[in-house]
Amino acid sequence: MTQTIALLVDAYRELNAKKLFWITLILSGFIVAAFACVGLDAQGRKILWWSFPIPMFNTGTISLDLFYKFVFVNFGAALWLAWAAMILAVVSTASIIPDFVSGGAVELSLSKPIGRLRLFLTKYVTGLLFVMLQVGVVSLASFMVIGLRGGAWEPRLFLAIPIVVGVFSYLYCISALVGLLTRSTVAALLLTLLFWIFLFILNSADAATLAIKTDMAGRLTAQEKRLVRQQAEVERREHWAADQLNEKARSEAKEKGEPEPSPSAWTPEQLDSADPTLPNVRGERGRLEKQIEESTDNIKQLKRWNDGFVIAKTIFPKTTETTGLLERVLVSDSDLEKLAKAFGGEERRGRRDPDRPDSDLEMERAMRDRSVGWIVGTSLGFEALVLLATCWIFCRRDF
Amino acid sequence: MSAIAKTTVPTRPWAVDLADVAKTYKGRIHALRGVSMKVAMGEIFGLLGPNGAGKSTLVKILMTVISPSRAKGSVLGHPVGHKPTLARVGYLPEHHRFPDYLTGGQVLEFYAGLCGVGRAERKKRRGELLELVGMARWGDTRVKSYSKGMRQRIGIAQALMNDPDLVVLDEPTDGVDPVGRRDIRNILLEVKRRGKAVFLNSHLLSELEMVCDRVAILVQGAVASQGTIGELTEGRERYEIELEGERAPFDVLREIAPELVSAGKLAGGEAIEHTPTMLRVATGDAARVQGLVDLFRGRGVVIRALRPVRPSLEDLFMQAVTDPTTGHVLDPGAAENSKNGGAGGRGGAAARGGAA
Repeated sequence: MTQTIALLVDAYRELNAKKLFWITLILSGFIVAAFACVGLDAQGRKILWWSFPIPMFNTGTISLDLFYKFVFVNFGAALWLAWAAMILAVVSTASIIPDFVSGGAVELSLSKPIGRLRLFLTKYVTGLLFVMLQVGVVSLASFMVIGLRGGAWEPRLFLAIPIVVGVFSYLYCISALVGLLTRSTVAALLLTLLFWIFLFILNSADAATLAIKTDMAGRLTAQEKRLVRQQAEVERREHWAADQLNEKARSEAKEKGEPEPSPSAWTPEQLDSADPTLPNVRGERGRLEKQIEESTDNIKQLKRWNDGFVIAKTIFPKTTETTGLLERVLVSDSDLEKLAKAFGGEERRGRRDPDRPDSDLEMERAMRDRSVGWIVGTSLGFEALVLLATCWIFCRRDF
Repeated sequence: MSAIAKTTVPTRPWAVDLADVAKTYKGRIHALRGVSMKVAMGEIFGLLGPNGAGKSTLVKILMTVISPSRAKGSVLGHPVGHKPTLARVGYLPEHHRFPDYLTGGQVLEFYAGLCGVGRAERKKRRGELLELVGMARWGDTRVKSYSKGMRQRIGIAQALMNDPDLVVLDEPTDGVDPVGRRDIRNILLEVKRRGKAVFLNSHLLSELEMVCDRVAILVQGAVASQGTIGELTEGRERYEIELEGERAPFDVLREIAPELVSAGKLAGGEAIEHTPTMLRVATGDAARVQGLVDLFRGRGVVIRALRPVRPSLEDLFMQAVTDPTTGHVLDPGAAENSKNGGAGGRGGAAARGGAA
């Protein structure tokens, strides 16, 4: 216990000595202050005492607490904590392991009566502590802001701590491995950032193919709706043309003094002669059928691509999706629809194509359909493997 | 020269008792080749050797920083590599680097904490040891502002924080001024007086000579010689004779006793060596040189000086690292694998010394 306390006190001192730690904390303070300054009223958005009227975005469309949760999730957590502060954390902590294993320093620690595994894991936790403290402070401050300004005391906000620390740990395990292998802070930092960029590219490819697929699926839905309508139109017109032809046949029989003919089946050509617009209407139906066929093929192809990216992502940590879990927790499906409405989703849809569903909302739903087990389980699995390899190297290496 | 000719075996228990310690890197670099040595409680043991001889590797094996390819023996009664034993060992590595964000006092407390020393004891020993190493005024200053000597002093204090039974110091006086060296010597002697063992690894032969009870010389991964300085110099004492006048003493001797010059030794068999300014007779017995003195005096040659000389540790060291067949100093570094194995053609002293 004495040894663990000594290591934790040392971890605190190490963080305390890092200027970037305090800079990040101060910046976090500014972010939370800015968070507290914005609000929502019956007219629209409010910044300090000034109100900016926005017709669809006011307390009439979304509640104040949902607004704050949305801002916290999308700006506080996803943008600041999971991106900007994360970069600062990666930069700040990149030197922890290289410094720890540098010549002259590691001998001092290894020569003490403490196991190498415990020593390394405690040092690893030091890096995580950096982010833990940052997110803890931001979460606590945001909890107060949402409580005092939004009137909702939302304890689930503190889930930001394990979620953001988890995301950081996906990157930090790489930093630790490279730092141990190379003993170089620069190498640890660069390779971690490269790995992050790789994850970003992989995630973007997945998101892009999923977005296009979702958009295509929306378009297909609209095309299918139009086809049903077009089919009905063709049938209506054919029926009308057949009625005309029957009427004409009855008139001719009457003129000739023949018995009234029973309604018979007319060939398309005969129907077309009765209604010259029928070929165009049928042509439109054919065009729609062709479009549907093409869309189906495109969706199949996109699904193949997207499935490939999803499989690739299964192996690697999912930083964006893990951060997105906070939104899942704090913003329910019904809240999501409210937000979509507030952000003019229906208006956009109406302007573009009333038959198409809101593809942004559908995309969000598709992302939410991905299981927490897949997102967190496989990401932590990756981290565990990297950490296992790092610990194994550390425990066996001659320094 | 045998590795340990007539070693005085201390009656105290062994702090370090190593047998056949070997370390091979990447299957070809033999950093250590079957090293055996013993360090008794209450003694200061010096380990010396040229660069790359394997001194630091041996120390790191003792401290579990490096795992040996093979090793038998014990440290404070427990097998080499037994982690809990390290709670009773103090260690100062060569080129140590303390975290820059800590003050001198925090360094002491942190590493003592890693040794499992309780908070109250840490506080107490921190003050005592800062005082002992002359750093009491600097205990609250960050180590990044320390000079090399100050860091070394804090390092020594750090190694003593857990009140160890065995203190292992790798180049403890590196970068320390003469006053600091004297202080460190006094600290080591105090540690010894309290019955603890000190394992000292240093290049500074004069430092070792002043404090060490026993030494071992490591060359190319093997013990070339080991024992007390008295044991190692036994049979190597000599008398130096300087004569008055312009002529070289050897020329004078050739003129008055050509038979001695041609034999190269006295009648008793003691070898005669010479330099341009003096004669050397390989004996530590004053009676054996009296005949030669009489010979000079009988011919009216004035003897300016006659003095007994004991070889220094440096002499022993130089002898250990010199290839007897070529007379050249051996290459520094560890022995590399060759077709015939072992020292790969360099193995003069190492081969001679072998495992103790």
